[in-house]
Amino acid sequence: MSATSRRRTPAAGRGPSALAAVRGHIARSRPSETAISGRIARSASSDTAISGRDARGGGATAEVTTSLWRGAVALRVVMLVFAAVVTADQHDRYARPWLGWAVLAGMAAWTVVVLVSYTRDAGRRRSVVVADVLVTVALMACSGPALGAAQLAAGTPLVTTLWASASVVAAGVATGQAGGVLAGVAVAVTNFLVRDRVDTDLVRDTVLLVCAGFIVGLCADTARRTERRLRRALRAEATIAERERLARAIHDGVLQVLAQVRRRGGELAPLAAEHEVALRALIISGVGGSPTPDEAGLADLRAGVQGLATTTVHVSVPATPVPLPGPMAAALTSVVREALSNVDRHAGPDAQAWVLVEDLGGEIVLTVRDDGPGIPDGRLTTAAEQGRLGVAGSIRGRVAELGGTASLRTAPGDGTEWEVRVPR
Amino acid sequence: MNAISVMVVDDHPMWRDGVARDLAEYGFDVVATAPDAAAAVRIARTVRPDVVLMDLQLGETSGVQATGEITTALPDTKVLVLSASGEHEDVLAAVKAGASGYLVKSASVTELVDAVRRTAAGATVFTPGLAGLVLGEYRRTSSHAGAPRLTERETEVLRLVAKGLSSKQIAERLFLSHRTVENHVQSTLNKLQLHNRVELARYAIEQGLE
Repeated sequence: MSATSRRRTPAAGRGPSALAAVRGHIARSRPSETAISGRIARSASSDTAISGRDARGGGATAEVTTSLWRGAVALRVVMLVFAAVVTADQHDRYARPWLGWAVLAGMAAWTVVVLVSYTRDAGRRRSVVVADVLVTVALMACSGPALGAAQLAAGTPLVTTLWASASVVAAGVATGQAGGVLAGVAVAVTNFLVRDRVDTDLVRDTVLLVCAGFIVGLCADTARRTERRLRRALRAEATIAERERLARAIHDGVLQVLAQVRRRGGELAPLAAEHEVALRALIISGVGGSPTPDEAGLADLRAGVQGLATTTVHVSVPATPVPLPGPMAAALTSVVREALSNVDRHAGPDAQAWVLVEDLGGEIVLTVRDDGPGIPDGRLTTAAEQGRLGVAGSIRGRVAELGGTASLRTAPGDGTEWEVRVPR
Repeated sequence: MNAISVMVVDDHPMWRDGVARDLAEYGFDVVATAPDAAAAVRIARTVRPDVVLMDLQLGETSGVQATGEITTALPDTKVLVLSASGEHEDVLAAVKAGASGYLVKSASVTELVDAVRRTAAGATVFTPGLAGLVLGEYRRTSSHAGAPRLTERETEVLRLVAKGLSSKQIAERLFLSHRTVENHVQSTLNKLQLHNRVELARYAIEQGLE
């Protein structure tokens, strides 16, 4: 019993004129409809942005990605301050101190550029990230001549020092694992080329850079996947809420009026009864479970079969869903529909029909029975011999395709009864 | 013989008054109506009707809970669920909680009158829809330890009810007496209700011990 299936509209139908109340109820419901479709529209636009690899902050659903970007920008600023301190401390040992300061100035200028770019949706483009890595590599390369061979050999940090790792993080955030690793390798290789040797420190830097790119990329990938799922769930939820809202409005309004017309009798009563049953069937198949398959490809057989209920067709089902692969549920629903249309054609206008859905775990049993005049002995056989297989053949064929059996029980004056058994 | 006293519980005034009027025309004594579950339980305790016609969608407290409270407090009062089709889980829960039967709201006035009479007489009102639900419930719990089971005969009878046969037709088909068929039907419901009470008691004890 879900709370959402409850209807609660104390005002509807209570006033002096029920119709006026119904109208008022429907009018009141409208704003929420707009709100829901507005939410769908918003989610849809942010979806486009993410799939374009822009990783825009599309409302609440892109929160994690947005925080990752903020983190990358903050890291950049901290690293710039650190590099400035290192340079101030070391510059008197540099072969060309002016070049060292020039590199630091370049770093500061580029930090401002990415700060502006990465804090905006539009600036989080792949081209900016590629430029980011290239500028970083170029500034590292300039650090070599600035330090001079002696300082490079002594292991003095490059002017770019830890600041260089910030572009790797940005690449990870923007393009995921692959991009993060690639940027890490690019920066590490540059490090080797500038130093022109291999030692433990450099290897350690390489491992750290590649790992940082990988882990940040992994986080970004996971965040995006989660955000996509969340958006899908929100949309599904909005659709269901919308269906339930409509069902409530119909239930509290139109259905009450139809039921009353039917109960009062008269000329319109049979028509009202027909529409009442049809509307109820429509509500059930729309809210109680969708005949269209869910993400796992499973559809509730009950939903399809219940949609076939009319004033003369009574449907009995279990209280819990009967999940089946979508095509199988559709095929079985068609079988029932076919058997019922046969009842319509042959059993006379007053005949009643009953459909029973049973779930035996490993097997599904469908029964369609009518209380019409039945089929005289031998008529089906005659029809088959004459090549006119008709409905019986069609039903058997469909059921056989599903690996099941269909048996017909009939006697003159005792109606017909189809029993269909299909393995799950 | 006194007229059968009935209470109608539904949150739609139009429906409530319509049903009350219909029943009155057929000689029933409509002693009360109630718009929600809380009022239903309170009023039922005072007027002690023979039959309560219970809608299940009543807002905060559901008709299911009201059904349980009324049948527990007033063993002589029968509850007949009169609800929209499609509220399968609620209908099943109400029947497990003690309701004597279930009728869809789209049933005709004659069907309703007949159902109320039979309910008052202590019979169960088993529509094909309810038979399908009960059958499904036994099958769902068939692998659960301690869950009630149907005998082969009961399964057979229940399936025929679900396929729309009247108890007279079932009696003819299975070469049984009409009374035996009714007993089988009643027994399927009694087992579910008993199991439900045992489960509730067990749950209450577990909660109490913790």
